[in-house]
Amino acid sequence: MNIRCAKPDDLMTMQHCNLLCLPENYQMKYYFYHGLTWPQLSYVAEDDKGNIVGYVLAKMEEPEPGEESKHGHITSLAVKRSYRRLGLAQKLMNQASQAMVECFNAQYVSLHVRKSNRAALNLYTNSLKFKIIEVEPKYYADGEDAYAMRRDLRELAEDDGKPKSKDGGDEVSAHDHSKHLHRGAHNHSGHDGHCC
Amino acid sequence: MPSSDPLPPKEAALFRKLLKCYEMKQYKNGLKLAKQILSNPKFTEHGETLAMKGLTLNGLGRREEAYKYVRMGLRNDLRSHVCWHVYGLLQRSDKKYDEAIKCYRNALKWEKDNLQILKDLSLLQIQMRDLEGYKETRHHLFTLRPSQHASWTGFAMSYHLLGEHMMANNILETFSQSQTSIEAHDYRQSELLLYQNQILIEAHQLQQALDHLLKFEPQIVDKLAVRETLGDLYIKLKQEDKAVPIYESLIQRNPENVLYYKQYMMARRVSSPSDIVAVYREFQQQYPRALCPRRLPLDIASGEEFRVVADEYLRRGLRKGIPPLFVNVRSLHQQPEKANIIESLTLQYFENLTRSGHFSREDADAGMPVEPASALVWTALFLAQHYDYMRDTNRALEYINVAIDHTPTLIELLITKGRIFKHAGDAVEAYVWLEEAQSMDTADRYINSKCAKYMLRANMITEAEEICAKFTREGVSAMDNLNEMQCMWFQTECALAFQRMGRWGEALKKCHEVDRHFAEIIEDQFDFHTYCMRKMTLRAYVGLLRLEDVLRRHPFYFKAAKCGIEVYMRLYDKPLKSETTIEEIDIENLPPSELKKLRSKQRKAKKKAELESAQAAQAQVKREQHQKSKQQANQETDPDAPQLDELIPEKLERTDEPLEKAIEFLKPLQQFAKERIETHLLAFEVYYRKNKLLLMLQSILRARAVDPEHPVLHSCIIRFMKALANAKKLEPFNEHVQQVLDKATKELIGTKTPQQLNDEFIAKHHATSILHLYEGARGLYELDPSKKQKAIKLITSFNLSKMRLEEAVQVYTALRDGDIFGECEKEADEYKLLCQQRFQYARIFRNIEELEAQLQEKEAAKLRAEEEQQQLNHLDTNEMSVASTPASIAAAS
Repeated sequence: MNIRCAKPDDLMTMQHCNLLCLPENYQMKYYFYHGLTWPQLSYVAEDDKGNIVGYVLAKMEEPEPGEESKHGHITSLAVKRSYRRLGLAQKLMNQASQAMVECFNAQYVSLHVRKSNRAALNLYTNSLKFKIIEVEPKYYADGEDAYAMRRDLRELAEDDGKPKSKDGGDEVSAHDHSKHLHRGAHNHSGHDGHCC
Repeated sequence: MPSSDPLPPKEAALFRKLLKCYEMKQYKNGLKLAKQILSNPKFTEHGETLAMKGLTLNGLGRREEAYKYVRMGLRNDLRSHVCWHVYGLLQRSDKKYDEAIKCYRNALKWEKDNLQILKDLSLLQIQMRDLEGYKETRHHLFTLRPSQHASWTGFAMSYHLLGEHMMANNILETFSQSQTSIEAHDYRQSELLLYQNQILIEAHQLQQALDHLLKFEPQIVDKLAVRETLGDLYIKLKQEDKAVPIYESLIQRNPENVLYYKQYMMARRVSSPSDIVAVYREFQQQYPRALCPRRLPLDIASGEEFRVVADEYLRRGLRKGIPPLFVNVRSLHQQPEKANIIESLTLQYFENLTRSGHFSREDADAGMPVEPASALVWTALFLAQHYDYMRDTNRALEYINVAIDHTPTLIELLITKGRIFKHAGDAVEAYVWLEEAQSMDTADRYINSKCAKYMLRANMITEAEEICAKFTREGVSAMDNLNEMQCMWFQTECALAFQRMGRWGEALKKCHEVDRHFAEIIEDQFDFHTYCMRKMTLRAYVGLLRLEDVLRRHPFYFKAAKCGIEVYMRLYDKPLKSETTIEEIDIENLPPSELKKLRSKQRKAKKKAELESAQAAQAQVKREQHQKSKQQANQETDPDAPQLDELIPEKLERTDEPLEKAIEFLKPLQQFAKERIETHLLAFEVYYRKNKLLLMLQSILRARAVDPEHPVLHSCIIRFMKALANAKKLEPFNEHVQQVLDKATKELIGTKTPQQLNDEFIAKHHATSILHLYEGARGLYELDPSKKQKAIKLITSFNLSKMRLEEAVQVYTALRDGDIFGECEKEADEYKLLCQQRFQYARIFRNIEELEAQLQEKEAAKLRAEEEQQQLNHLDTNEMSVASTPASIAAAS
């Protein structure tokens, strides 16, 4: 296993991995958008032949009303079933979070997870110290509710690059699929320069 | 912007409003304004207004009218930069970039310093990789606006892309010196510094790069990039001592990065395998949860040391029950010594776990606590995967069955069983197991995808689509949704299934869909040319440009293109009968009874044809409606996207120029997949059919450069020699061609005749390689068809026990299809029987009757089971007891 920051060359394979593993899919341009706006934030896990077996696709979001600084957001996280229970999801998340703090001064990282995805919820709450902020009703295209979750990243800022790791146990997947994302994914074809 | 045909103030104001409306995308208002100007009899012919009217119409998706008005406007005012610019914009929105570039150049003739036109031109130039033109335009922009940041970075980048690194660096250096105040934590500044550093490294100015990085380190926020680059530079500059602490900190930050360990070993000058293993042991202590320090020693160690580390690694994994344990050591199996050790270790575990619950007799004797009960299942799974890798199907099945008997609800076991059958050549049994696994966890798309893939391998396209539909958007067909989401693995597997079934048009449609994804992904980069300059993510941007330059090198493209080429060649070899050709039968010589039968048959056929054509017409209407609604939907989101022709299987498979179409798929492979010998072998096949001697020769030479021993290369040479001899008979070559051909043939086979060459080839590979022998036999028949029996005998008598399944399939299908050695049904049947004994699971060698009987038996068994279950349920409800079915257990676990 090898975990490293994603390069533009990896984005197509990440899309492939996403299509195999998750119901929320995006066109290639949306991966480019991530990789070219926040090149430090996405990570991949590869096997010893260099095949991508897991990835985290992440970005930064503008401050919410009342907040001062930007925060990180996990757009999509997946590990192929045949590579689960190695703790890869947790390791990928920790690397991405560290980069959010260093490169973009992120105070926290947020994500959405399906209410029914017990395993993912377990990873986020127990291993990664995420907290449920609210329920977003009918967040997913199929009508399922999402938990909006957050993890405070200030501790990472203090101890400079030593992710606290605890074993994650079961690996899972989280992902984003709000309607605005979908619009984002389809909306990049104009040539007006206001890409993304 | 002085106009060549100026309007009076009132109309000029309207025209400015019209421009504004276009920018704001208020196309309808724009049209009204244009009408106002044009309705004045003095200005009905006003060029710039007509052109703008056209551009506005384009915004509304009325493309044909758009072209009409823009061209009309331009004709009326050929000296207007506005008209040329508008024509350029229109062509650009139609993705005709070369044409658009010409228009912009014309516009600049009349208005050479127009910023907007220059910027637009530079985008097209970089998109089309006109790097020289891009540099000129960026230079022009730089001189016009030296105060803008983007002028500097764009100018520098244009030199970087041309490989003039030091010039690029000088521009950035001058720019950074002119910068006065730098804010703290400035991401854009940080990215720019790292970009400059990358340029220095690419220019091999390592010391300069190191100095630059150390000087600006405080301003760079991407700490990881700084440390990774510093570490690498220190090693390359032979300052290893300074690299050591850097890699220590990198490993601490991410203990799962293979490169960090390799670099660390290099920095510490640790080189003997034992020493490296010892260092990894230290890291194991330091990072007990990390995978790398445990796994990497297995690559390095050998012999007894390997046995020790492998033993530790495997026991730990089996104790914890890590499903990917086998896939993580699979690559070690390429070394037979390591594969043997792994096999003997795990066999020993299995034996001892069965007997005492320990991994070894020593553990048992020492009175160690027993391992968890699940360790036996994981060990059995591991052994099954191991033997599957070795293609020992019987033993693989033996172990997987032990595991399944032990824990029937573990999905991984069922997947593995399916995979064993797949490798053994039984795609149907394989899919049955995957479907079972899928039904036990319907919320997991990964297993759903695998199930769909296995169905496609069994040519069950409808079923695969139905399964996929569980995870695609509702209200859209799964096929359409998967296409929209660029799901290339699915489309390629579909194409291959259609190809196997001889549904050529549908196979081609899928291949073209994949090709269009690649076109779209190349198109995607357009918006990023300006975007990345603004965001200053220039390292990533250069990475994108370099990726897009070779995008069709991707294995997904190769697979689809290969399929497309093969199908088009098949359609050339055996063209489909034209739909209108009606069988002409000599009616006069038929007896009355036969004639009656024939008439009734014809009536039925006519009726059927009428019905079909009515259905087809209906389908066509539906398709058009669908297409229309899709177009409308597209226009809402993206008025610029040009409409692509719909891919219609019936049209694709009846192309008049199959070889030309094949070449369209072939060209990108020749450009980007040069290192794959299959590219050149495919190219040979295409040019052989086109009888292009020089291109055949070129393909042979390129293939030979990749692998001179490749078996197929031989038959290419033989066929080339034959084609050459035939061509010579027809007419003499041009002198230069003759020279090239003579020189190359001499180089290829010396003074031998093709027969001699072929005989030597057969003699050389007679007992060692079936694939070579096959090509030799092919040559034998090719050169002298009377040697058919000898050729067939050569390959059918090769020792089957030394052959792999794929090889036997290749030989058998060649005999069965009769297209390599002529008709040889009897020999094919005999060979099939032999293969059946050697590869008992492979479906291709089994009898259809036997398979059908088996299928019926299975169906019947299923029915019986359902009936029994119903009776049981009946009993259960009577007794008020709750039965847990396997499915409910699975759902709970």
